[in-house]
Amino acid sequence: MMKKERGGATQGIDRTTLRLAIFALCIMVAFVALFSRLWYLQVLAAPDYRRLAKENRVRFVKSEPLRGRIVDRNGVVLVENRTATAVTIDRQIVDTPRETRIVLRRLARVLGEKRWLLRQRLKSELVSPYKPVPVAENVPVKARDHILENQEDFFGAVDIDKIPSRRYPKGHSAPHILGYVGEISEQMLKEPRFSDARPSYEPGDIVGRAGLEYEYDNFIRGVPALSKMIVNSTGEVLSEIEVREESAGNDLVLYLDYGIQELAEEALKAGVFANRGRYPTPAGGVVVMDPNTGGILGMASFPDYDPRILADGLTQKEYNKLGAKTKGNPDDDAFLFRPIQAQRAPASTFKIVTAGAAMAADVASPSTVLDCPGAKPYPPPGRTDVGSAEIFNNWTDFDFGLMGFPESLEVSCDTFYYELGWRLEDSSGASVFGEPNRGEEHFQRYARLTGMGHDTGIDLPNELSGRLPDWDWCREIWRATKDDKIPTCGTKDGPVWYPGETINMSIGQGALTTTPLQMAVATSAIANGGAVMQPRVAMQVGRPDEDDVEHPVRTFEPHEVARLPLDETELSVIRQGMVDVVAGSQGTARTAFSGFPVSTFPIAGKTGTSELGDVGPTANLQDAWFVSYAPADDPQYVVVVYLEKSGHGGESAAPIAREIYEGLFGIDSSLDVRLGQDASG
Amino acid sequence: MGLSWEGMFGEAVDRIGGQPISARMARKAPIRHLDPTLLLVTLILTAYGAVVVLSVTIHRLPPETNPNLYLIRQVLFAAAGMGILVAMSFVDYRHFRALAPFVYIATVVGLVAVLTPLGEVAGGARRWISFGAFQAQPSELAKVAVIVVLAAYLSERRGEVRAIDVLFCCVTVAIPAVLIFLEPDLGTMMVFVALTAGLLLVGGAKIRHFLALGGVGIVAIAMVLQLGVLQDYQVQRITAFLDPEPDPQSVGYNLVQAEIAIASGGLRGKGMELEPSTERRDPTWGLPAGHVPDAPVERTQTALDFVPEQHTDFIFTAVGEQLGFVGSATLLGLFAFLIWRAVRIAALSKDMFGTLLATGVASLWAFQLFVNIGMTMGIMPITGIPLPFVSYGGSSLITNYIAVGLLLNVHMRRFL
Repeated sequence: MMKKERGGATQGIDRTTLRLAIFALCIMVAFVALFSRLWYLQVLAAPDYRRLAKENRVRFVKSEPLRGRIVDRNGVVLVENRTATAVTIDRQIVDTPRETRIVLRRLARVLGEKRWLLRQRLKSELVSPYKPVPVAENVPVKARDHILENQEDFFGAVDIDKIPSRRYPKGHSAPHILGYVGEISEQMLKEPRFSDARPSYEPGDIVGRAGLEYEYDNFIRGVPALSKMIVNSTGEVLSEIEVREESAGNDLVLYLDYGIQELAEEALKAGVFANRGRYPTPAGGVVVMDPNTGGILGMASFPDYDPRILADGLTQKEYNKLGAKTKGNPDDDAFLFRPIQAQRAPASTFKIVTAGAAMAADVASPSTVLDCPGAKPYPPPGRTDVGSAEIFNNWTDFDFGLMGFPESLEVSCDTFYYELGWRLEDSSGASVFGEPNRGEEHFQRYARLTGMGHDTGIDLPNELSGRLPDWDWCREIWRATKDDKIPTCGTKDGPVWYPGETINMSIGQGALTTTPLQMAVATSAIANGGAVMQPRVAMQVGRPDEDDVEHPVRTFEPHEVARLPLDETELSVIRQGMVDVVAGSQGTARTAFSGFPVSTFPIAGKTGTSELGDVGPTANLQDAWFVSYAPADDPQYVVVVYLEKSGHGGESAAPIAREIYEGLFGIDSSLDVRLGQDASG
Repeated sequence: MGLSWEGMFGEAVDRIGGQPISARMARKAPIRHLDPTLLLVTLILTAYGAVVVLSVTIHRLPPETNPNLYLIRQVLFAAAGMGILVAMSFVDYRHFRALAPFVYIATVVGLVAVLTPLGEVAGGARRWISFGAFQAQPSELAKVAVIVVLAAYLSERRGEVRAIDVLFCCVTVAIPAVLIFLEPDLGTMMVFVALTAGLLLVGGAKIRHFLALGGVGIVAIAMVLQLGVLQDYQVQRITAFLDPEPDPQSVGYNLVQAEIAIASGGLRGKGMELEPSTERRDPTWGLPAGHVPDAPVERTQTALDFVPEQHTDFIFTAVGEQLGFVGSATLLGLFAFLIWRAVRIAALSKDMFGTLLATGVASLWAFQLFVNIGMTMGIMPITGIPLPFVSYGGSSLITNYIAVGLLLNVHMRRFL
């Protein structure tokens, strides 16, 4: 404590001590005040304040930004925005059951809508509780005026709002490719592409739900404006601050050419109806692709739908109706996008793959000559180590005699390709029946390289990858069917690879399935000198509302996925064969292209006719295929046509391709000349 | 002697004024009489503050910056303060008496400079002078200068304070105080008033002096309010705590939010998060998906930016919310200890100058922490006063280290 000092200072210092004590007392009072307040707040009143903290919230409300447009390679606008007039109800104002009932009753009368429907929409949990809920769209002017003039009838909660919506200036065009928008679903919110995106997606956001709208949503969605709202415990908005300004989404520029797309759609539709006189022909697909870049110039699917009916939302019932007009019949599914989702046997069009595989595996060379009898047994006589022989028939009994690769494609000789299939199988080391050594799989490996058995990587959602029968597939399918009476791909004892599977595959039959797009990629690789390109619909992302194609935000460069192990001579015999298919005297597509100026615009093609069996509803029906590229000497276009349950490839599919080439090269002629009979395998 | 190394280490001194030193004198060597607890509690408070600053700033920095930026800077400031503290302790505090007028004039020049275009404007007030990467706040340093000047003057009176002395003190304080008021920084100006009151009380002013000063003060406040010298927002801030409103754009709203933050911390608090979250969130998108209504958000008040200036003036709200009553009471306890040491040093001082220096420092801290913590708990008006040692800020931290340096100095040399 205080130390007494000498002399006269003593009294002064004592007084100082007293004053210090008073000073200290003041400070103590202050501390006591602070402590008591702290005790009150954090101990006595803490539960109340915890509740306050919980109720006390900042709410963030987003507004939908303007989505980017989708334009074709020439700047033709395919999708843009419009504003739809919607009737909205503010749930913050109408918050009692009684008021809700009154408002809904009056609104239902004015709009002529079902009351329960309005109620259901009002209850939507996908709209923020702080945003007015749209309950009806595109209302008549009279109803709109009535609502605006009689605000008090609706407690001031009903309003007319403009909400952004998609518009399709070109109408019924490329619906599957463009896709449609809608509110994001719970399931989509969990997908990495949405859950990892920044700014994040939230329930109620309008997103692309299919096609390019889905695939490129992050680029074209724009950045929504964000408002920070301060709300009190009753949910009343006390103030609103804009945290972030809205910025419009970027435009998506496509490889797609609107003119070619129209051409493809119309040619397909006309072709389907032309075939319907003789065959069911329920569906089909067309791919037009640039073989050099992999850019998709046009892709048509039949049947399709009008994207405009989806723009304003679709009920489940309407959706179902579009999905299958006849219940349980996928043929009518308008949502199935055939070019990337139809998985069918490619039949003889696959011979361009078999030929490449045989030369790549050195079981054949460009100068190989084989015979073409009406039937051949496999395994060949004398090979007892791979089980008993089976007879494989050509599509005709006629014996064509010896031929090289070009002629084998021109006449589509099956027995020629059975031999290649057998050689490929034999060289892969699978000759010991029952104990397959599937290590090599020359054929399957080459087929995989050229795009079979896996997706092509096109920038569209839900692409299917077909089926490439190989040992892995065999074991899997055996495991799945081993308890059946007759297991697939094996016996009760275990999976068995039958060499016949490979032999069937050599003519594009058996378990093999591909999509039209996969065939387009394989055809492109033959046409462009061996590059397996990744197909792409979108070329670049451009700035919104600027036609500045020179300075895109982002460009998607052509991507070479793989390169075929074939040299020019090897490729040229396949190409020559494909030219002869169209222009040769025995060509399977000769009739379809009769009168076509092939000397000016040489076309290289291959027909395919996939047998659908001899019994049942599809008896004597075929899937018709035609794969092609042109001009043959400088390929600019690959055109693949596929028709379901129709006639022969040369008869049903090739005319559609011709129609498209006529459009592409500006040739004028009429359709009926080439609907003659033609047979191909 | 205090100016030499020998002054610190008595053993090396063999004679004072020509006379050999005795063993008893040697024991009086200043370093032997250091107050280690004062130094320790200073360091603990600094560390406590630095951690809280980190917890508040770590989630708010833009992703490309170092998440520990504020922590690193605060530690650097503390190191600088410690350096000055050590340097100061070599000098006998009695030498500061002679330096006082110069320090005072330098401070006034600095405060004038702030008001010229040399000063940096931030948040509508000119409070800083920029030296390259650092800004100094002369008003902080002015606090110490005024303590030294008043202590020097009043110690001359040896407890016999006349009205003229009170007037002199008031004028001396008024010059920097008015300059600070012009910045405008009402809070710091109030600190000067409190300092003066504390020093006059201990220095020996009579009751009638205080009554007179109180009267003048009331008239002055009435005139200020009447003449509209204060900006509207200043009046609002001062009066808001009397009747806080939940209007989010009002000052009262901050107050309510601060109170909610502290009180919702409860006994143990909601805990601290000192690692940058794996997904660096910006404050707007940082919210969980959905439009939030019922998404559970811990530490809402801190995390959702409900409280403004949380790393500086409102740092106590972060303490309250994250560490609860346990943490807040501990902090108050540390401050109580600190101020007790200051008052004890005032009492132990060998001379009046030392007593008044320590008194000044004690009243500086006591007032600042009372107003600062009081404001966050809704019992004092909102003013921009930092919490000593805890709030983020270099000038404030260094000033407080200088104040600790003064206390240690007085304590070390209480026998000399």
